[in-house]
Amino acid sequence: MKSVVIDPITRLEGHGKIHLFVNDDGSLANCYFQVPELRGFEQFCVGRPAEELPRITTRICGVCPDAHHMASAKAVDAVFGVTPTSASLKLRNLVYNAFYGGDHTTHFYALGGPDFVCGPDAPPAERNVLGVIAKVGVEVGKLVIAQRARGQRAIEIIGGKKVHPVTAVPGGMSKRVTKEEQAELIKIGEEMVEFAKFTIQVLNDIVLANKGYVDLILSDMFTHNTYSMGLVDANNKVNFYDGKVRVVDPNGKEHCKYEPKDYLAYVAEHVEPYSYLKYPFLKKVGWKGFVDGVESGVYKATPLSRLNASDGMATPLAQAEYERFYETLTGDKSGRKPVHQTLATHWARIVELMYACEATLAMAKDDEITSDKLVNKPERIVGEGIGIVEAPRGTLTHHYKTDDKGIITEANLIVGTTNNNAPITMSIQKAAAGLIKKGTKITDGILNRIEMAFRAYDPCFGCATHSLPGEMPLEVIVHDAETGEVVQNARQNC
Amino acid sequence: MLKPLLVLCLGNEIISDDRFGPEVARRLQEESGEGLGADVIFAPLAGFRLLDLLAGRRAALIVDTIRTGHAAPGTLHEFPAGVLTPSKNLTTSHQISLPTALELGRQLGVELPEVIDVLAVEAHDLETLREEMTAPVQEAMDKALQFVYQWIERNSSKESDHADSN
Repeated sequence: MKSVVIDPITRLEGHGKIHLFVNDDGSLANCYFQVPELRGFEQFCVGRPAEELPRITTRICGVCPDAHHMASAKAVDAVFGVTPTSASLKLRNLVYNAFYGGDHTTHFYALGGPDFVCGPDAPPAERNVLGVIAKVGVEVGKLVIAQRARGQRAIEIIGGKKVHPVTAVPGGMSKRVTKEEQAELIKIGEEMVEFAKFTIQVLNDIVLANKGYVDLILSDMFTHNTYSMGLVDANNKVNFYDGKVRVVDPNGKEHCKYEPKDYLAYVAEHVEPYSYLKYPFLKKVGWKGFVDGVESGVYKATPLSRLNASDGMATPLAQAEYERFYETLTGDKSGRKPVHQTLATHWARIVELMYACEATLAMAKDDEITSDKLVNKPERIVGEGIGIVEAPRGTLTHHYKTDDKGIITEANLIVGTTNNNAPITMSIQKAAAGLIKKGTKITDGILNRIEMAFRAYDPCFGCATHSLPGEMPLEVIVHDAETGEVVQNARQNC
Repeated sequence: MLKPLLVLCLGNEIISDDRFGPEVARRLQEESGEGLGADVIFAPLAGFRLLDLLAGRRAALIVDTIRTGHAAPGTLHEFPAGVLTPSKNLTTSHQISLPTALELGRQLGVELPEVIDVLAVEAHDLETLREEMTAPVQEAMDKALQFVYQWIERNSSKESDHADSN
């Protein structure tokens, strides 16, 4: 038996591996997905003042520091038993949606895009963001860069720094927005909405108009019937910053809806010996292994699952796209019948992009954001706090305990990708089993289709270091299933 | 107003040797402050986001860590950013490397510096969460600062040549 591993080899940290164990006749015997984790971060937090954590936890990740800043700020609000002012909540929401606008744009054009724009069989040298630009034209690339720059500018205005936000403090925000800055934010919001409309057109023209891609999206190989998790507002509409966590079963029936502070009653973690990363599952359903269905506690926390767990979007253009999404894929525009095709996550991300841009504009127009009532002063120490936001790549939980002086004694973080560890493993296993049959020659195209199953989740590994050249590739390693011997190192970082 | 020269220090203050970049930035700001002939920015970032920081400068020096495996920890490597090879496969948001971002920026007409040099220290520990570097990397700090000051001086004179010729 042989095995294939997909692993980045140029850096020791932050890399993932896919191991494929292949029989002598070429069929797949087994498949494992391994990801590294930034171990020890919780311990690093112990002994530090709780109010410092919103700035420290941004160092966990160079891609979604904004999500950690917000989840941490919410947890620290709870530690001090303080509710942020109305104006500061609007500012947090605004800056968080602006961040989403940039992050989802990057994924669609630079990460998911190459699979569809360049095609899964394009050689790796072309299947990248530069290949996308070569296909769609430099002008589109300029629009993408401009969209990202808008998000960055909004973060600079509200978050205090272009690179990492620093302004969320216990009870509110530390930086006021001026009238001039509000005018700039409105312009940014207007341009973001136009860009989101353009992106829907790109999705229609390049992906949905291509029958081959649509068939790939709808294929059983990329389908898993799991539970879906997402944060929703009081009307069960998708919300990235606040609300309750709602989970629906594979048929769309509500399984639970809980306050962030109650997460431990609903989520537990399974451990596998070959991975540092744990496998969260729904406690009341139970861990039944890497399997689909109502009886299995596996859930997804992704753009797709957020849409499945909601009853719609809170803004008009995003709601229209939500309805088109469900009508196209399930025949029922209400969204009550979940979509389970993993590759549809890319489209779900565009629905969310539309919402993030509309929400940015709507909140920018709210004059309360220029209020100077920015902080409710904390006056007590509760000693425990839990903050949950939706990071672009999944539900993000920060849970802190402190002593009576507000010094951290215990911290627990469940990051977005961790939620999806089990479904990612299942998606890779199913794609690999569907693609690698008796006598199959393992080509780059096959390996890329396996990676596509994984890439749709936009996973985030332990990623706190940023040393050169700044890449975190993935390697596929093929093993002989009988001896374990590596027979093919299919994808080394080029 | 942006200075034409930028010293962009990359890294993470809480991961051992990855602290090198932020420490260089801190020392430069402490020793020279506003009087330095270049803006100094510390950024715990990579990829696309670096384009935003590099745009509009005439020359940039990127200070970071690297692990080539071919040199002793603490060894300083200096090279033009162009020698780094862009990544060819993309798997996550983290996959946009510095060279890929620069190539993308050039193709899209982003106003990037004419000169982008890299000063990278060979790291020993890029895994441990702690606020101290390993000894060999710490010991390379003074030499790195000297290099940065010389780089600024060298490129400042080019800057005045550039201004004269206009």
